[in-house]
Amino acid sequence: MNKIVTFGLLLLVSSMMLGSATSSAFAQTDPTILITLANRAQTQIERQLSDSSPEQIIELYQTGVNEVNALKESLKEDDIETAKKHFLSAMRIFAQISHLLNEQPTTQAESTQIRVAPQHDYSSDLERIHKYVTSLKALAKKYNAPIDFSEIDRLFDTAQTQARSGNAEIVQTINQIKHLVLEINEQIRDHAAKQQQERAKRYAQQYLEQLDRLIENAKSQGISDDIINKLENLRERLSTATDPHDIVEKIKEIISIKKQFELTKNDRLESRVIQIEKMINRLSQIDGINQENLDSIKEQLALAKGYLREGEFDKANDILRELNTQLRSITSSL
Amino acid sequence: MNPQFVPIHRNESLREEGMLFVRTDGILETMVKAPLIIAGLLVVALSMPMQSSFGSTRSLDLIIYPDGSTHVSAQIDVDPLNPEFELELYGPSVDNFVAVGESGFLLSSEFVEDKAILDTYDSSFITVNYDVHDLVSKEGRVWTFSFDSPVDYSLTMPDNSVIVGMNVLPDNMDIVNDKTKLELYSGFTKIDYIFGTPVPTPPTDSGNEETVIENDLDLSTTAIIAAPIAGGAAAAAVLLKRKQSKKSEIPAQTITNEISTSNMNKVEKIFSLRPDMREDDKEIVKFISENGGEAFESELRKKFLQPRTTMWRAVKRLERLGVVEITKKDTQNLVKLRDELEEEQ
Repeated sequence: MNKIVTFGLLLLVSSMMLGSATSSAFAQTDPTILITLANRAQTQIERQLSDSSPEQIIELYQTGVNEVNALKESLKEDDIETAKKHFLSAMRIFAQISHLLNEQPTTQAESTQIRVAPQHDYSSDLERIHKYVTSLKALAKKYNAPIDFSEIDRLFDTAQTQARSGNAEIVQTINQIKHLVLEINEQIRDHAAKQQQERAKRYAQQYLEQLDRLIENAKSQGISDDIINKLENLRERLSTATDPHDIVEKIKEIISIKKQFELTKNDRLESRVIQIEKMINRLSQIDGINQENLDSIKEQLALAKGYLREGEFDKANDILRELNTQLRSITSSL
Repeated sequence: MNPQFVPIHRNESLREEGMLFVRTDGILETMVKAPLIIAGLLVVALSMPMQSSFGSTRSLDLIIYPDGSTHVSAQIDVDPLNPEFELELYGPSVDNFVAVGESGFLLSSEFVEDKAILDTYDSSFITVNYDVHDLVSKEGRVWTFSFDSPVDYSLTMPDNSVIVGMNVLPDNMDIVNDKTKLELYSGFTKIDYIFGTPVPTPPTDSGNEETVIENDLDLSTTAIIAAPIAGGAAAAAVLLKRKQSKKSEIPAQTITNEISTSNMNKVEKIFSLRPDMREDDKEIVKFISENGGEAFESELRKKFLQPRTTMWRAVKRLERLGVVEITKKDTQNLVKLRDELEEEQ
């Protein structure tokens, strides 16, 4: 017995150690990046220094340079840990210098080296809105919404040209784009709202099946009639709900009761059932998938659901785990 | 786990010098507790994946725009049994928010302070995109990105920005569309950056490594272009050398050696006449001598990795000692070793 226990213990500890070893390997920083970043910072700081720079800053800079040199030396000697320390130290010093230089009046030489970003950067505005419009285009395609993006694309081109030439009319163009974006956003949300009701109903139907399993399970476990009545009452109200907001509210009530009476222990397994059902649906739409395999998986899933209903969580868990492995194997073979 | 093992050995003493005796009953006592330890480990091992299942961020990508606003793009695992998900936003000032479920449908959202309540229904993961204005602050010309990330993430810096300070080690760095993209670990990150002129790769020993990182996509192209040029140059050099060797009666190697010896003599003479010269100044003198007796101040700075002011002071010190003379060539300072050196008084 002791040998088995020792073996089990060793197996667990070694697997945990292996796991942590993987994550620490992942946590290795490419050392050459450190030199690149430190060199860039050093060069940039050096460009801001002049003969008139205060002695304190010059000395600090020299310390930073020494840290960069020490970083390079450490890397030459493959001493990564020391190199990391020198990198962080150098970057801390360069940051300190940058803030100290902030307090200094800018000389003409320095001002040619540094570009202070403009107070209002229209390129940022354009980039931001463009990214948003890209998301809206993807949604419009998803909903098959007949939305015309040609006008907004034309305005983007105009704005880009205006930005390059410094044309002040860019402000008006951006306002036009923003106005159009609002309109398109509204149209897409209208389309989404129409389909949301269907999605909510489907979800409610799916939830009702789980709720049935939960009620069956609660009965077999001898849970009080009062709780079972509450659940059945909510089940009834959920089955008649049609408004998405109403459906969400009903489900929240059910979740609240489940939490209140500690009926959530099989929720994780129910989530896994949903995930497996989704995976089966996706796979069944792919050509070349062995349907017999999928049918067998569906049968096993039904068995797992039965176990969930009867409160046999361990058995259900074993089947779900096995099904997950089988589905992953099918997915990876595609 | 450890405290259970300690008391067994606490009262142990070595019965004989050089030999370690172990009480077997102590081990048995420990083994009895092993199932408890195993059970504890099992609970930890099983609870770990559960804890990170729902509400955890799968991937997180941030892009900083030139005006300091930040685009957030995240994929988050959510509980398919819960129809709602409360998303914590990375700041209260949010624009252009779009959340979609795993099937690509728009999720309706409601904002409460810095949280978004999303109707996720049966989605097991969601994708969110938005712009936030609270992650970057600006003081003078220094911009500071501060972020406490729950997961490892990528951060794309604005075009033409240079990082001048950071409190963490990056996992990786890449250049994407001329922008620096950092892969960072979870936890608190603070990055100071300024907008400046592009920094060329300094010609240091590590310079080659940098070129590899930044230009690895162009490496093959460069090689294709450079190889014939290098080949041509080498061929021309060989031909030239052959011609020169025919004309010259004295071998080139001899000339080089003579120059080298002459330089060495000159340097030694300088050192003997200026015995109190600083060691770092001597290195500068040696370099100028090996460089044909003259060097631009910028070359000295690059060679010795010294800032402008430090090198200027060193050069002026050598000038005061009468070792070098400084002249202007174009807009640069040319530092020449003086031919004649007077003895110090």
